Amino acid sequence: MNKKILDIKNLRSKVDETEILKGLDLEMNKGEIHIMMGPNGAGKSTFANVLMGHPKHEIIDGEIIFNDKIINDLSVDKRAKEGMFLSFQYPEEIPGVTVENFLRNAKMTLTGENQGVFAFRKVLKEKMKLLEMDESYASRYLNQGFSGGEKKKNEILQMVVLEPKLAILDETDSGLDIDAIRIVSNGVKAFSNDDNAILVITHYNKILDYLEPDFVHILVDGKIVKTGGIKLAREIEEKGFEEFK
Amino acid sequence: MYNENLLNNLSFKEYRLDKLKKYNKLQIPKWKRINLQDFDIPDYREYNNLQLPGHEDLDIRDMGTVKEDINEFTRYLRVNEEFGVDKKFVTLTEALSNSGVIIKIEKNKRISEPIRLDFKMDNDNPLLLDHNLIIAKRNSELTVVMDYTSNTKVFHSGVTKVYAEDNSNVTIIKLQRMDEDSDDFDSNIAIVGRDAKVNWVSIELGGKITASSFITNLKEDNSKADLKSIYFGDKDMEIDVQYKMNHFGRRSESNINTKGALKDRAKKVFRGDLDFKKGASRSKGEEEEYVLLLDKTVKSDAIPALICGEDDVEGEHAASAGQINELKLFYLMSRGISESQAKKMIVEASFKPVIDKIPYEDLKEKVEENIHRRLIDEKS
Amino acid sequence: MEKKKRTYIADIQRGIYDQKNEFKYKYKSEKGLTSKIVKEISREKNEPQWMLDFRLKSLEIYNSKPVPTWGPDLSDLDIDNIVHYIRPDADISTDWDEVPEDIKKTFDSLGIPEAEKKSLAGVGAQYDSEIVYHNIKQELVDQGVVYTDMETAMKDYEDIVKEHFMKLVPPNDHKFAALHGAVWSGGSFVYVPEGVKVDIPLQSYFRLNAPGAGQFEHTLIIVEKGAEVHFIEGCSAPKYSVNNLHAGCVELFVKEDARLRYSTIENWSKNMYNLNTKRAVVDKNGTIEWVSGSFGSKVAMLYPMSILRGERAKAEFTGITFAANGQYLDTGSKVVHAAPYTTSNINSKSISKDGGYALYRGLLRVAPNAHGSKSTVSCESLMLDNESNSDTIPIIDLKNDDIDIGHEAKIGRISDEAIFYLMSRGISEEEAKAMIVRGFVEPIAKELPLEYAVELNNLIKIELEGTIG
Repeated sequence: MNKKILDIKNLRSKVDETEILKGLDLEMNKGEIHIMMGPNGAGKSTFANVLMGHPKHEIIDGEIIFNDKIINDLSVDKRAKEGMFLSFQYPEEIPGVTVENFLRNAKMTLTGENQGVFAFRKVLKEKMKLLEMDESYASRYLNQGFSGGEKKKNEILQMVVLEPKLAILDETDSGLDIDAIRIVSNGVKAFSNDDNAILVITHYNKILDYLEPDFVHILVDGKIVKTGGIKLAREIEEKGFEEFK
Repeated sequence: MYNENLLNNLSFKEYRLDKLKKYNKLQIPKWKRINLQDFDIPDYREYNNLQLPGHEDLDIRDMGTVKEDINEFTRYLRVNEEFGVDKKFVTLTEALSNSGVIIKIEKNKRISEPIRLDFKMDNDNPLLLDHNLIIAKRNSELTVVMDYTSNTKVFHSGVTKVYAEDNSNVTIIKLQRMDEDSDDFDSNIAIVGRDAKVNWVSIELGGKITASSFITNLKEDNSKADLKSIYFGDKDMEIDVQYKMNHFGRRSESNINTKGALKDRAKKVFRGDLDFKKGASRSKGEEEEYVLLLDKTVKSDAIPALICGEDDVEGEHAASAGQINELKLFYLMSRGISESQAKKMIVEASFKPVIDKIPYEDLKEKVEENIHRRLIDEKS
Repeated sequence: MEKKKRTYIADIQRGIYDQKNEFKYKYKSEKGLTSKIVKEISREKNEPQWMLDFRLKSLEIYNSKPVPTWGPDLSDLDIDNIVHYIRPDADISTDWDEVPEDIKKTFDSLGIPEAEKKSLAGVGAQYDSEIVYHNIKQELVDQGVVYTDMETAMKDYEDIVKEHFMKLVPPNDHKFAALHGAVWSGGSFVYVPEGVKVDIPLQSYFRLNAPGAGQFEHTLIIVEKGAEVHFIEGCSAPKYSVNNLHAGCVELFVKEDARLRYSTIENWSKNMYNLNTKRAVVDKNGTIEWVSGSFGSKVAMLYPMSILRGERAKAEFTGITFAANGQYLDTGSKVVHAAPYTTSNINSKSISKDGGYALYRGLLRVAPNAHGSKSTVSCESLMLDNESNSDTIPIIDLKNDDIDIGHEAKIGRISDEAIFYLMSRGISEEEAKAMIVRGFVEPIAKELPLEYAVELNNLIKIELEGTIG
């Protein structure tokens, strides 16, 4: 069985007239956790958005192959159906739509199967427990009035409920206190298995105390300039990104 | 009275005649909120206090001395849209202006130092009908400060027309510090071109009746306007301010930010309109008014309207009113400051960002002193 | 350039609302409005002299007042072509089985008898100008609650009616209040005695079947000290090519410590001029809650008003207006704070699509003696396309310094980022938009009784059905 889940070749993108990704290559296999680090403005969030198909970003060259399928032209909802998931850096607030209702709806769309109200509620409650979230969040409006930390936890909740094949976490750890980072990391670890892959985009490396990545990539000016193991991340912690610029 | 004979020695005679005919057909408006029922427009008088500032890079002229043959300006005088506090007062000034300035800045000229116009009214000059025209050609930059003062009861009706052509940046700072028995009617309109920006700063302190109107037509794509204003009303002052942003161009942006304070028996009407015309896609408008009510006997009306004929816009408005935040008061008073002193500090602090826009130290001080003085004699 | 997609939204298929019955009647007045017609209506109803005098006085006022021009265009409304009074071919009954078959079928398909069995304490049903059914649970009657049609109330509770009728909305208030005073017919009368809490709602349903006709029902509700009640009003009519007119009047008296919730789902057909006047006066510690959904009508002018005349009285207003093609819905809320420590919360939402015109017009007035009062007003408008219009005109009129007032308004379209976020979870674009619209009206839907919330969701679903183009 093919283990490769994501294969990106020479990806170039622009927004308005500015080129941001300038020939990015990345391969990921099932069962792996990858970390992508880089200085401000390197293109980390752009990369997450391009992967997920944000209409503001235009691919000008290269290919994104997901599960042996070129997905360059798929709309965002189709990509989600293929098994991709993005944990947003700044999740949108959607007034009037409850977390539970929304997730049940999304789960039905993704699986094509009906989700009984009570059966689904049971699953949701279990997952919320894992993330140390109060049950009352299920009936709150999606992200509305959530604190920064609550929004991030809610993104991870969506991930563990929707069970994607590839999860991209865009700065999910930023703005979280140590406790929340631990909880989020536990959620990510519990989610990780031999059949899925996780790409963690981060600016800090506190999350490395909890996650054991298989690869660490350094993104500078729209390109991956170095790939290594956890040692590389430690190096960055000490010296910063200066020598890669 | 106001008849054709008055026009004999004046410039733009044809234009003025046309306006005079319209003026004579119009009645003093019946306003719902400020009562003008027994209001009379005083007899015509000359105004002789105008001092024309000089600047080597600018074309500055006295509106009254421009000769008939200079038709270059006539097209700027004609504004097709209705604007101003009321047609009666606008046509009065357009027909019979006894003062006013034309300022034209040529393209690519950027002048950083402000141009200052002082309109001083007194016993010998108790009537000011100033008609001003400010024309900023492409890529130019200009700041004009207009300061209206009087030491006695006077009547003022002004009209100012601003043309900000493509990519220009025009700042108009208006101060109204007239005597407390005076009546003030001030009508302003700006027509903003592509990538151009008009910044209005309005400071309303004086007068018995104050009606002012600032209308901005964001005609072209990427045109922008910003309006910051403060008003302070005390005794029996009646203030009616109208700010209107008409969005025509795509990606046009506007912002209205008004702060005011009312004490004694002062009355105020705030009208703020954000009007998104169909086709003004991706435009944004914001407006905010906050009024501090310092006495039980004040009256405050606000009508912040949002008008939308285009869906692809972002419009927001907020209006709020109340007493001074108790926590703020408590905080200041816990440092030993008296309640009245603390209130004064809060009012002054909220006005400060607008007052700081005045580019002259002497004017800034006078404005601060004016507000300070009137806040002190509270409860006297 | 990024190409922007537009959602095409099909026009509403109103289904059962559009079922027309054959136009049958016992009596109908001639078209137009004369003192002869007014006298005939009064004679048909066997009214006391004071009511006839009141009608004729109102007619005089009506004739002396101009058609208001500050709002929507009313020039198409031809009063001389409206039939003002139609007595349906049925007598009032307390038994659905006695209601004539075609009329009963209409109310059956609107789910009224079913709802009565399940979840209502009382039901009234008006067909054209007269009530054809009125019933209330015996246990409420035993507690002294009165719920009946206005004509019966005129006979059985004449003193109470005389004391309150058009005292809150006097005929000289505006032209259509005067019209109402002259030709009113039908409507419900509710009296809840001191301390009685009616915990399940009463509902009156108003159906206008006749083409080119007017409906002028009068609703009078008196909630005595410490009492509580929830009243629901539903309205609909099939569509005709001629204009219909609705100029009803609602007068609500909420006494000390009492609470009244008044819910309306209005789904008149799009040939209706809905010029309705609603007003509540609230005494000390009392609460009025308005829940209002405006979906139908060609033109609506509707601004329920709360007069808070007792200390610590409260008003809540929750409203949604949905204006589609050919509709000009000028709605809003008025609050007068006329006593100290009174509170009001206004929450209004509007949606416009397909050339519809949604306008919020509000008034917030604080009288000089209303110190310590608080008010928050929030208006949100969602425009679904570029053909539509949405305006917000709030008037804030303050005559007191010791108050806390906030007003906020927002106009916009559905944000592209919100759609992207929802789609990233696998939801289609169309569903994402529908989800956002449903979420937008959710705070109002949840205020409605279940059947009405379902009806509201259905209305939105019907309004939003379509394809992405």
